[in-house]
Amino acid sequence: MTELTICGRGGQGGVTLAKLIATAAFQRGQYSQAFGVYAAERSGAPLAAYVRIDDREITNHNQVRQPDHVIVLDRTLVGPQVLAGLKPDGWIIVNTAESPDELSSIFSGWHVATVDATAIAVANKLGTRAVPIVNTTMLGAVARVLTFDWEQIVGALQSARFSEANLAAARTAYEAVRMALLPGVRAAAACAKSTAAPASLFDENVGAPPTIRTGAWATRRPHREQLTPPCVAACPAGNDVRSFVAELGKNNVDGALCILLETSPLPGVCGRVCPAPCMQRCNRNPFDESVQVRELERYAAEHGRRPAPTQPWRASRVAVVGSGPAGLSATYHLARLGHCVSLYESRDELGGLLRTGIPAYRLPRDVLDEEISHILRHGVKAHLGYQVDRATLLELSRRHDAVFVATGLQELRGLDLGPRADGFVMQGVDFLDRARGFDIAVRGERVVVIGGGNTAVDAARSALRLGAHPVRIFYRRTRAEMPAIGEEIDEALAEGVELQELVAPLALRPDNGEAVLTCARLALGEPDQTGRPRPIPLTSEDAQFDIRCDRVILAMGQGRDISLLPEGAEVRMNGALAGWAGAPLYFGGDFATNDGTVAAALGSGRRAAWHIHLALTGEDLFPPPLQPVASAEYVHWSQFDHSSAHHAPHAPPVQRRRSFVEVRQSLSDEPGHNVAAEEAARCLSCGVCNLCDQCIEHCPEGVLRRDGDCFRFDFDYCKGCGVCASQCPRGVIHMAEL
Amino acid sequence: MPRTLLTGNHAAGRVLALAGEANRAARGCCGGAYPITPQTEIIEYLRGVNFTRGRIVPVESEHSAMAVCIGAALAGARAFTASSANGLSYMTENVFAAGYYRLPIVMIAVNRTLGPPWNIWVDQGDSLALRDAAWLQFYTEAHQDLVDTILLAFRVAEDARVLLPAMVALDGFVVSHTQMVVDLPTQEQVDAFLPPCRVPHALRADHPATVGGLTWPAETAHHRREIQEAMERVPAVLEEALDAFERCFGRRPSGALAETQTEDAETVLISCNTMSRTLRDVIRARREAGEKVGMINCKLFRPFPRQALLDSIGQATRVGVLDRNHSPGSGGVFWQEVAATFGGTAQRDGRVIQDYIVGLGGGDVTPAVLNEVVDDLRRRNHAAAPVWREVAL
Repeated sequence: MTELTICGRGGQGGVTLAKLIATAAFQRGQYSQAFGVYAAERSGAPLAAYVRIDDREITNHNQVRQPDHVIVLDRTLVGPQVLAGLKPDGWIIVNTAESPDELSSIFSGWHVATVDATAIAVANKLGTRAVPIVNTTMLGAVARVLTFDWEQIVGALQSARFSEANLAAARTAYEAVRMALLPGVRAAAACAKSTAAPASLFDENVGAPPTIRTGAWATRRPHREQLTPPCVAACPAGNDVRSFVAELGKNNVDGALCILLETSPLPGVCGRVCPAPCMQRCNRNPFDESVQVRELERYAAEHGRRPAPTQPWRASRVAVVGSGPAGLSATYHLARLGHCVSLYESRDELGGLLRTGIPAYRLPRDVLDEEISHILRHGVKAHLGYQVDRATLLELSRRHDAVFVATGLQELRGLDLGPRADGFVMQGVDFLDRARGFDIAVRGERVVVIGGGNTAVDAARSALRLGAHPVRIFYRRTRAEMPAIGEEIDEALAEGVELQELVAPLALRPDNGEAVLTCARLALGEPDQTGRPRPIPLTSEDAQFDIRCDRVILAMGQGRDISLLPEGAEVRMNGALAGWAGAPLYFGGDFATNDGTVAAALGSGRRAAWHIHLALTGEDLFPPPLQPVASAEYVHWSQFDHSSAHHAPHAPPVQRRRSFVEVRQSLSDEPGHNVAAEEAARCLSCGVCNLCDQCIEHCPEGVLRRDGDCFRFDFDYCKGCGVCASQCPRGVIHMAEL
Repeated sequence: MPRTLLTGNHAAGRVLALAGEANRAARGCCGGAYPITPQTEIIEYLRGVNFTRGRIVPVESEHSAMAVCIGAALAGARAFTASSANGLSYMTENVFAAGYYRLPIVMIAVNRTLGPPWNIWVDQGDSLALRDAAWLQFYTEAHQDLVDTILLAFRVAEDARVLLPAMVALDGFVVSHTQMVVDLPTQEQVDAFLPPCRVPHALRADHPATVGGLTWPAETAHHRREIQEAMERVPAVLEEALDAFERCFGRRPSGALAETQTEDAETVLISCNTMSRTLRDVIRARREAGEKVGMINCKLFRPFPRQALLDSIGQATRVGVLDRNHSPGSGGVFWQEVAATFGGTAQRDGRVIQDYIVGLGGGDVTPAVLNEVVDDLRRRNHAAAPVWREVAL
């Protein structure tokens, strides 16, 4: 008779492992017996399971007390107690990443086999990330050590209908298990489990049932830990996306807008033009469809009431140079912190690229004007038409306690298309600026736009609206690599813009009043340092082609104009300049970061405000590091139903092709439906408790209470069963070993 | 019989399903189903079975589970269910009803300690509390005995000379959740072994009548006496069923009692369930060492096989009874029966009949524990109050 003991924890599948081993023995014609010791069922509690294998009928039904071999499913259970009753030549088979030698201090003189079954099980996605089920993996190791034929293991797994992943994990363990007879004197067992009854279970002499505080049984304890929702981690502006969506879900539109205004002065702008990395990272995205955060932000900005603006109460004076999103953000946050802010803009209108670079069909002027005026109402002085160069910057710095420079990217990347190209070529940024004032005529022109970013797409769509036809975008990589917002590309194509991928212009020559653009065909090569595939020219005969057009618009990105920077100056980590005689200078926005999105510029301006506030007042407003991100594994999907997103209506392409009227409308309520609230209610609140009380309702012991948003576990009675953790839909409750 | 590896629960579920299906040509089968640890897997298995004629009805309690069985049996169907511990307690009213209605229902009782204090492990207090409910009671050793006895239970219960429900008990966890090698019968074999279920007093639409209405004292007493007489016919009917079993399956399971080395034994122990299997190994080892010891596995508890037991004990002067149960204020229930068997007989004189209460609450009764019991018994010249032996899980 061969007897095995399996030491594991509830949830690891120890009893099933015993049954699988017994099945394998049965398949080779032997009698076998498999059973577990069932106790108060709790995942994570230490448990034992046993196997008997014999050539004769087995009549013993007792627990195994002198095993031939021991299998340990959990590294934390390794110790001298494992050796209790173990026969001298027995194997100790342990789930651990260690080699047998590394266990020599505990198991010297014994036969020891080790395999990292946890890693193998996780790699094969057996169980969950938090609780991998290692039994089938360990079966492979046991089979090798106890010399089962592999076919018997396959038979055992298949007869119990285990998946291919289990089979693969078992095979990996079968091959990976390391076996050794450890040198040294055979280590002694801890004293064997006593079979004698305890002296007395009873506290009282009346023979009443024992009173037990069930908390004494616990081997694990739940604790609550809020994680960072992926949308929040993704937002470059630092918006508390989950919280504002949650308020919308409660139909508290004013509250939602207040949360947004804590981090961003431009929710109406971002609710229209943001590429919304929050939606890309939304855990609903692979499940069904991301929560429509951008539409919701716009909805909050349109329907929420803004709180009354504060006025400066500090003596400190800060100059902000540049009124693009970074400058506006710094201005707003500094003003709200009580500083006196003067905002300097070289043009005669505020807004920077928001005004000049984003067409009205994406961002209507009145939306921008309203949000800027809300910023200014915080006691901000705006100076328009104020050109800043190195000398005026020095002058500004003398008159202020700090200066924030966010002049963006003024150097436009050009392209040498030959000496005779000039009359046909213009920069996309200039084109957009003139198009918004209808200060350029392209009706009937054939337009080619070079580039793949938002400026290129905006320029193409603006040209279309001004009557150009056809309008083509030439891009040197493919659609998949275009930095422009995907939905904008979709809309452009729907409106009739043509996209030619893998094309780069080489030269332009005039011919009879029109331009002949010579282009090269490209292919995608190895990734470059940005991680995108490098376009490489084709060498075939038709690798070049000519195309006739009337106008070429370059939208190939911008660089910063560093002539502002004082010579010899050095940018420190926090964006402040060293070696400067005047007040500290801080740089932000695209000028400093070149992140290229409104949201990133807003975040940059906000961080600059914290730096400046810290320097001026000594008060540190920087938030602590984010908690780990609540990725999809933290979400308990069985608690959620699939649902489609609510989309805002779009103007039809035919209509918008000829008009600068806004393409996307806002989420509009339908009779009997608050569409925005319904969409917001789709939010899973990943990693953040939203007081759904699933934990309280499912606690079998009733040990979890909530008073307001304060939760209290009664650990005198918590058995550590983990039901609360497994029922929390959003991964806020975690189990920890005691 | 195909050989397979099954837990006790799944073995019981399979045999119930085979027996139910075997009645498809008659009135089919039906059972109420309500889960309780450690019986749940039986119910789970049965709920997944597609019967040609019959169904398992999920209900909200054990009380209703037995009510479904009563209704089904009164409609002439082969009826069965399973329960444990406090579930059996809750079912009790209808357990008695099934017995007094004389309905050949078969119930698997997966023995579990009654709470409080809460306990999920084996002892026999739950089913023995129903000993007076006019049910046959079988206490099975392990998997094969369980399978064989369920088939025998249907055959005996449905026999026109008996027509009483039958309870088949097994050890919770030690059998119910332990996977062992077992020979399962085929459907054809069960079809051949179990005649169609016939309930002569089943309700008929063409002959409306009320069953179980008011009866006067004399009628009631007569009804009880008929039940007693039916009980007394069980040993003979069981022997016939064993003959039929042997013809059908080619082997003969143990009957009401199974003796091991009792022939010339001076000391005999009486036990049941898996404890008997451990005890058998202990007795054989001590016989090899020259001790005149023997044992009797007592499978049939209701009716209690008094005469057969007296015959089996023979001349042994020391009789020990192992009780994994306890009737407070008295002692072990099996011991009461054994003592009553000797009561008023000449065989009682000079014998030691000692009760040992062991393994209550599911303690692991090891060979070492049983050897201590045998040692204790062999030293005794007089019986004493029940001896308690508390053992750990």
